Amino acid sequence: MSNDLLPSSQLPGVTRFQWQQLLGPIFVVVIVAYAASSVSASFAFLTEGTLALLVMVLALQVLIGNSGVLSFGQAAFAMVGGFASGLLTVPVRIKENVLDELWEPLKMVNMGIYPSLVIAVAIGAFLAFITGLFLMRLSGLAAGIATFALLMVADNVLFNWRLIGPGPQVMPQVPKFDFIDESIAIAVLTMFVVYLIGISRRGRLLRATREDALAARALGASIWRLRVLFFTVSGGIAALSGAMYAHHAGAVSARDFYLGFTFTTLAMLVIGGASSVWGAVVGTILVTAIGQVLLVFEGGVTLGSIEFTLPNGVRGLVIAAALVVILIWRPRGVTGGKEFRLPFLSRT
Amino acid sequence: MIQTILDALSYGGLYGLAALGIGLVFGVMRLVNFAHGELIAIGAYLLIVTIDLGLPISIGIAVTGTAILALLMEFSVFKRLRLAEPSVLLIASFGVSVFLQRLYEVIFGALPLSGQIAPWMTGVIEFGDTTITRGSVVTIGLALVLLGGMWFFIEKTTLGLQIRAASSDFHTARLLGVRSNRVIGAAFVFSGVLAAAVAFVLVTQRGSVDPLFGVNITILALVGTVIGGLGSLQGAALGGFAVGTTISLLNSFLGNYRIYTYTWLFILVIIVLLVRPGGLISNKAVKERV
Repeated sequence: MSNDLLPSSQLPGVTRFQWQQLLGPIFVVVIVAYAASSVSASFAFLTEGTLALLVMVLALQVLIGNSGVLSFGQAAFAMVGGFASGLLTVPVRIKENVLDELWEPLKMVNMGIYPSLVIAVAIGAFLAFITGLFLMRLSGLAAGIATFALLMVADNVLFNWRLIGPGPQVMPQVPKFDFIDESIAIAVLTMFVVYLIGISRRGRLLRATREDALAARALGASIWRLRVLFFTVSGGIAALSGAMYAHHAGAVSARDFYLGFTFTTLAMLVIGGASSVWGAVVGTILVTAIGQVLLVFEGGVTLGSIEFTLPNGVRGLVIAAALVVILIWRPRGVTGGKEFRLPFLSRT
Repeated sequence: MIQTILDALSYGGLYGLAALGIGLVFGVMRLVNFAHGELIAIGAYLLIVTIDLGLPISIGIAVTGTAILALLMEFSVFKRLRLAEPSVLLIASFGVSVFLQRLYEVIFGALPLSGQIAPWMTGVIEFGDTTITRGSVVTIGLALVLLGGMWFFIEKTTLGLQIRAASSDFHTARLLGVRSNRVIGAAFVFSGVLAAAVAFVLVTQRGSVDPLFGVNITILALVGTVIGGLGSLQGAALGGFAVGTTISLLNSFLGNYRIYTYTWLFILVIIVLLVRPGGLISNKAVKERV
């Protein structure tokens, strides 16, 4: 039975590197991000947060889109990345005052945002590698539940263990990015990485295992090794997303990356289309845009002489409904799981 | 001490009921229903909103309403995803779960709604010098009655036989004339009834309900279902019972370290999935090849 979430028949050209597939989504992200952030300061803030979400959706895409393995657990690595990057950059004085139970060496260390991002990614990828060695033996439903269990473990540990983080508190005073350009650059870099690894020899092999595990094994592909590799990459990118979020919000706590975050990013991926970078971009922009429009309505809108006010909660309602409707009627997402194509350049 | 044991047993019974509700649906259609928690929540909402009509009527409304919502889920969403993979169903049920949470927020508000359902449940019974809470006794009784009833239904009735047949091999059961939609519908209805029972116990304990009311117990019941063996109904109930009693006992004995209970519990889940995908308790053949 074919997995409906992911397309079983890619167009032949899609496995070949094409500049339009890579640059198209990047142009869209850059233009939308600059346009939205030029509207107002609050839009700029929203855009920065959305770019962090986009990186998370890309982390999910590189794993789910290429391997077909469902993971509810990548938010665990975002959590770790956010904590790591936060702890490394919060001023020592603040840590001594607020996080008094913190392990001493962690209290004393302090560095700039960029080195902390690198370390966060390394820690996220390392933890993903270790857990992936076990989790990537599973697939289908078992993988879904086991990765969900991983999220529960990460949340439980990080929410309570004050030696390595703020515990149930919020870690305050995380240095923020100065410019929107930084988040845009990181997101663009991530899109490069995700597209190139997807199109690489290993990426194509992994997609082959997704389509027909037996045939791919006959070609000499080790499904487990490939999946562990992509789980590791995905964990590193997820950690990057968590770190971006921390430097966007200026604060970070374990519950920022729990079920709500997992749901939002997964919904973005599924709505956009899980099997392409373009799908991840479209899903992220679409869900954010819908959310913003509904947010305005929740605040109350006057059209002519009639005032509309939507009750709180409608945003989540609509996005959840959209997810379910997409799964039923267009399981490959609004992009159909295809990569970006300029209409007049397309060869079919 | 007696109270500790009774608490453990009543928690076990409660989680067993929740896990059986999830296991019933899983058995017939390979759906791990995250939205089971929202069935529990609607039961609790209906109880609190209608309690002024008197407890029996209120319970009747809650059970009916929960069963109807369960059927509605099946007809509006899951019936349309019959051919989808279990992992797609999992995402869909996650979506339904969040959808209903937000719907409750829109209808009832995000703040907890409080109400006294059965105040006598919080009282105590005295035996000489030991006192035990009525709630735990009632919960154990309710769990025994419902688990017994479910056992009778599943083992002794035709529909139950069909559910068992569909659980062990859905396609063969269909070929042999089991009407799949009817069986799946029945499984949803019974999972709704079980959810309403869980809602009754939980809401009498807590005295309030909010949109996320059912999330926690569903996650833990899910653990029980996995440990007991996905697809085995006795396994699910026993697994849920084991999780409930374990949590209750750990909470009593671990003191400050009990905050890490979940960590061990979920590591256990991962180990079970890796080592014994058929579950610890169940010895049935593995359903899904992993």
